Parts: sequence; structure tokens; C-alpha cells
Amino acid sequence: MLEYFNNVVTGIQKRINSEPHKTNARKKYALEISKLGSRLYSDSGEKKIAWCGFLAPFDILNAMGVTSCFVEFIGAMLASTGMADTYITEAEQDGYAIDSCAYHRSVVGAIKKNVMPVPDFIIGTSCPCVAGLGVIENMARIYKKDLFVLNVPQENTVESVKYLSLQYRKMVEFVSAQIGNPLDEDKLREAMDLTNKARALLIEVYDLAKKLPSPANSIILKDYGIVLNLLMGTQNAVDVAKACRDEFINKIEEGMPGLPEEKIRLLWVQSRIQFRFPIEKILAEKFSANIVIDELNNIFWDPIDLDDPYTSIARNTLANPFAVNIPKRVSLLQDLAKEYKIDGAINPCNWGCRQGAGARGLISNGLKKVNVPVLNLEVDCVDSRNFAEGQIMTRLEAFMEMLDNKPNPFIS
Amino acid sequence: MSQKSNGLIGFACSYAPLQVIHAAGFTPYRILPEGDTPDQAGQLLHDNLCPHVKRILDRGMSHDVPKLKGIVFVNSCDPMRRLADAWKDARPNENVMVVDLPSVKNDSSVSFYSKEISRFSKTLSQWGNEKRVSDEKLVHSMELYNMLADLLKQLRKKVRRNELEGGRATLQKIYNYVGQNQVEDCIKLVKQHLEKKIVSTKTDGVPLFLFGNVLPDVKTFELFEECGAFIADDDLCTGSRMITQVLEPDKKDLYLSISRSLFSSPPCARTFEESRPFQIAENVLERARKAGAKGVIGYTLKFCDLYLSRLPFIREILKNEGLPVLVIEGDCSLGSLGQQQTRIEAFIEMMR
Repeated sequence: MLEYFNNVVTGIQKRINSEPHKTNARKKYALEISKLGSRLYSDSGEKKIAWCGFLAPFDILNAMGVTSCFVEFIGAMLASTGMADTYITEAEQDGYAIDSCAYHRSVVGAIKKNVMPVPDFIIGTSCPCVAGLGVIENMARIYKKDLFVLNVPQENTVESVKYLSLQYRKMVEFVSAQIGNPLDEDKLREAMDLTNKARALLIEVYDLAKKLPSPANSIILKDYGIVLNLLMGTQNAVDVAKACRDEFINKIEEGMPGLPEEKIRLLWVQSRIQFRFPIEKILAEKFSANIVIDELNNIFWDPIDLDDPYTSIARNTLANPFAVNIPKRVSLLQDLAKEYKIDGAINPCNWGCRQGAGARGLISNGLKKVNVPVLNLEVDCVDSRNFAEGQIMTRLEAFMEMLDNKPNPFIS
Repeated sequence: MSQKSNGLIGFACSYAPLQVIHAAGFTPYRILPEGDTPDQAGQLLHDNLCPHVKRILDRGMSHDVPKLKGIVFVNSCDPMRRLADAWKDARPNENVMVVDLPSVKNDSSVSFYSKEISRFSKTLSQWGNEKRVSDEKLVHSMELYNMLADLLKQLRKKVRRNELEGGRATLQKIYNYVGQNQVEDCIKLVKQHLEKKIVSTKTDGVPLFLFGNVLPDVKTFELFEECGAFIADDDLCTGSRMITQVLEPDKKDLYLSISRSLFSSPPCARTFEESRPFQIAENVLERARKAGAKGVIGYTLKFCDLYLSRLPFIREILKNEGLPVLVIEGDCSLGSLGQQQTRIEAFIEMMR
């Protein structure tokens, strides 16, 4: 995997260098993420490595010089390279049920086959899902590494915020003990400032994407908000967000929409299909449909108070769509639908996802209330072994046909 | 004599603090995943959520539950979180509260959960239009539930000695009753069963330890017996984990005492200690040995992530220790176990 990531880094860097006049927003994003992959797999020992739950505060970890990542990232990477199925099978042979999330099964299989970088320590999060925490617990057992768990309450109360911010402080103590260095408060402040700068740029990016037609296409912001979180607190996050902002500005000024002849505007719920199925290309070429917004490509969090970052981060975490209750999550989706003038939404309903896809009907009903139909795809986003392309295409076609004949509820 | 009840408070998880419900003047009512209500949960939630949650929701949507003054959901797992959301959607006029339970046991978790229990107590007072639950009432309720817990321990020993008529099936009836009635009545019932003397007969059933989550159907225990099993002890949400004893309550902070006790009790797979990952496997082994079990049956609900992620290691540990283990998945009902009768019989036969 180190070789894979290094090759990807080299390849992308070459392409960027060959077009210095272009903003290359997606390439810059892919480059930074690939570099993270390289750092994770590098055994130089230069930096400590932490495997984390999805809602870990990566900006704090970046401030402390820790190379960190959420475990599902590897599941996604394995799926995108066509390798996930092997590791999923491995996990199943070890007794991990096929009913569980394939992001996690692929990671468990990768651990078994020594494909996961060995962490120095582990930070779990109780949210978004207990299955993810189960994988984290597994890791701690197998690698015999120290574990710290952040309990993320669902109810957003004064006590919840206090509790979570206290846990962040304890996490910092834990990490300091692991790396042998206390947290440098100046570095923390700098990291939080960079997070805020990235935030401001992302607000611009997402605002620009709302335009009719959108400067975004279905690829450029694919899983953007989810993965960019890993770079928060660093200049890289700022640079990547800036590149995207600049690219969108250029496209709008030059009259170059993300999808020429954009006819149907889509909202994608939760995370994309990770294995190689060109759904974005099919949507664009066959239906002139454009995914203009992904659910987590949304700034639902306030700027971080540099004088009290832990409380700020706690509040922001509790506001995450995966942490809140479903009425709140649906409200956020409804807002996105209105702001982006959405024709329809696609919910992949990732098999095995209880916390997210579990609310399938509630989400559909919620978006129906604002006149946005939802296609529940019922697909496993990581495990391609049982992928029924024909069925998916049939459903996609029917949905797009319906949207084509339906006026956009937000455009008069 | 039972206190006057202000009504029923529904609950669906063994981590619900029943002492607080009683102290607030209500009767706790565990909504069990039983009955033949039509499948409607899929309208709101995905079909790949556990049958426990779906059946409860089915009952709620069909109004197949007694009149409730309110319902409390513990944030014990993702399906429970979704159940709370769906319940509110399906029954918008009902009082609903979600109580956040941390996943790991440490000082700050215990402290936080004590505040959640206190928040729950305040909410119950509002639901009952009563003044805040007094410490005296709470201490009294804790004493009653402690008594009940002690009596149930004695009853479990009686089962182990094969001195309870109807054996583990009868015990399950009692557990189900305990989840749905006033504690005073529960104490009375358990005492009656303790006082009944039957001649202890040697069972030829193979002693087994049963662990897992939700299995309230009494007939499933009869099935285990028919297959040749003798359930010597269990670690089930609807079994021995039903009641938490609050020992040595701190009068300065009773809610902290309840929280501490909940975290110190045998945990479900969702709760663990950071310093001892997969302690659940050691717990199962220890309990099985204590019960004199020759083998272990793990019963879990389909789609239960909490157990799905831990079963492989539990199996490995038991296997390494020479304890045969059979893992079965079901939907809380006899039907789902009946389909596996042959496997259960073969497993038990192997140990004779």
C-alpha cells in the first residue's frame, strides 16, 4: 500500500506540474489525501500513527504532530482500488457476519492480512456508530495498543458539551503521554486558526456550488467534506479549499458549468459508492444529472473559538449530521435541498449501516415534505461482490425519468 | 403494598434506571418484541435493523402497547437511537426522552451518566406533574430494587439446583413480569416462588451458559430443555441483566451511585473498559466456568452490531479454553430458534 500511495502521489504531482496554470482543485485534494496515505504506511517512525473513529478531532491531532485517520478511510481506499473484496472475504472467514458494514469488514480483513498500518495508539469515537467502535476495540486487542474512547452524546445539552470538551482535554493528555510531548498551545491555536480559515473557504466553495448551473460536477466534491476533515488544522486544508474556491470562481466567470447542459440537480445522502462503478459518469452522460451537493459537504459548525477550542469542537461535533437525531439531520437535508435547488436525492442506504441508512424511511419522508423525491439505492458502498448493476440501472433510470418530468420545487 | 402508580413508563433497554421510574411514582413497562403486529417498521426504518427494535416499533405503530405516560430510550446502540427517532415520528403526542449512556466505563462517563439520570428524574417529575423526586423516595426505591435483585439471585440458584418448577422457562416468565410491574408486586411474586418447595431432581440436561441480548420468549427456554440443555446461568438483557443493584449508595449523590452501579454490573457488549478491550470474552468464560457449564450458547439478534463485532473473538477465547460454543442468531422469537433446533440438539449431543 505504501508503494501504491507513493505512486499515486508521484502521478498526481506530475499532472499538476504539467498544468501549472490550472487550479486543479480535485487533483490537489487527491494529492494531499494520497500523501496522508503515504504517511500512514510509512514506517519511518517520524511521526506517531493513530487510528481513530470517524468523529475524532483531527485538527487537534494534527496540531500535536500525529498522523491520524479514521478506519473507514482504508475501507474506502481498498474498495476504490478493487482490493476490498479480498479482505472482506478474509474477515467473513474469520466469523465476521456479512450483515455488518463492509467498511468495517474490509478493515478487519486488512488487519488480519497485515495490510493496515500498525498504529502507535488508538482513539475511538462512540459516534457515528457502535460498529465502528467495535472495530476500534478489535484493533486495540489485536495490536495491543493503548485505547482512548471519546463518548459522543446525541442529546445536545449543556452537560453534553461540557462532557465532550472534558474528554478532549483528557484525550490530549492521553496523546501527550503516547508521543512523549505535551501539546504546544501555540500550535493548537495555529491549527484552530487554520481550521477556521479552511471553514471560511469551504463556505465560499459550497455557496458557489449552489449556482445554477453549478460549477461543481459530481466528482469534484465527491466525499469532500468527509475526507477533508482529516486535513483540518493544517495549511493543506486551507490550500485545498482555496484551490476549489478559485476553480469555481473561474468556472463561473468563464461560463463553464461543472456539467454542461445540467438538467437535474441531485443531493447525495451520506457517502458515495466507493468501488469502481461510474455512477457519476452515468448520471452525467445518460441523464444530464449532476450531484451538486453531498450531505456532509456542508458547514454545519461554527468557527472555533481560539480561546476555548475544546468547547467549540465539542459543540461542532454534536452538530454533525451523524451525531444528531434524525429530525435534526432531516432538517439539515431539507435546508440543503432548498439552498441547492435540488430536484431529487439519492440515498445509497449502505448495507449494514444502522445509524445512517437505518433511518431510510424517516429521511425519505422528510425530503418528501419539501417535495424532493429520494431514490433509496440499497447498495453496499464497499462490497462489490453482490453488486447488481442491472437492477441499480433500472432503478436509476426510472428515478431520473420521474425527475425529468417533474418541475424543480425550488426554481420558479 | 404497591405504591399508587402515576402510569406506565415504557422502556426497551436493561440500562434504563428502573429505580428512578419507581421513585417518580410510575411503573416501568418493558416493551417486549412480541406479538403479531403487522410489519410497519420498514416504513420508517431500514429492514436491516435488529428485530428487537423493529418489533417494538411495529407495536408502537399499531398501538399495541398499553397506555404510556411516556417512554425512555437509552442511547445504547444505533438501532435504539433510530427507534427513538421513529417512535417520536409515529407517536408525536407521546412524552419521549433519550438518555445518553457512554460506551466506556471511566470516571467521567460515570459522572456524566449520573447527570443524565438526574435529567431523566426531572423529566419524569414534569411528566407526572409532581415535585422533584425526593432523595427519600429514591432511596426507598433503590432498597426495593436491591431486594428484588437479591431475591432473583436466590431464584437463579434455585434454578441451578433444579428446584424451580418449570425451570428457566418459569424464571423467564418472572423476568418478563419484573419488567412490566410494580416492584412491590414483583418482590411478592418472587418470594412466592422461593417459598414453594419442590423436590430437587437430578436433571439429565447438559449444563450450558447462555449469553447474548434479547430473548424474552418463554417457549424458547422450553425448547432448549427439549433439546437436552440445562441453562445453568445466563447473561441476557432480558435475563440476569434486568435489574441493577445499587450497593452502598452515596446519600450525597444518589444518581452517581446508580450510575456507578450500572457501570459496575455485568455489561452488555456495548460497554467496555478502554484498558481491557474485549473483556466481554473473559466475562463469558468466567461466568460459564462458575456455572459449571459444559458448553456455551451465544444467542444474538440478527443485525446486532454490538455482538457481531465481538463474537469471533468470544468464540476464539472459548475454543482456546476448551469450551464448546454454539452461536445462533434469531429474531427474539421461538420460530427463529425452532429453525435451528437440529443444530442445538447436535451441539448438546456432542457434549454428552
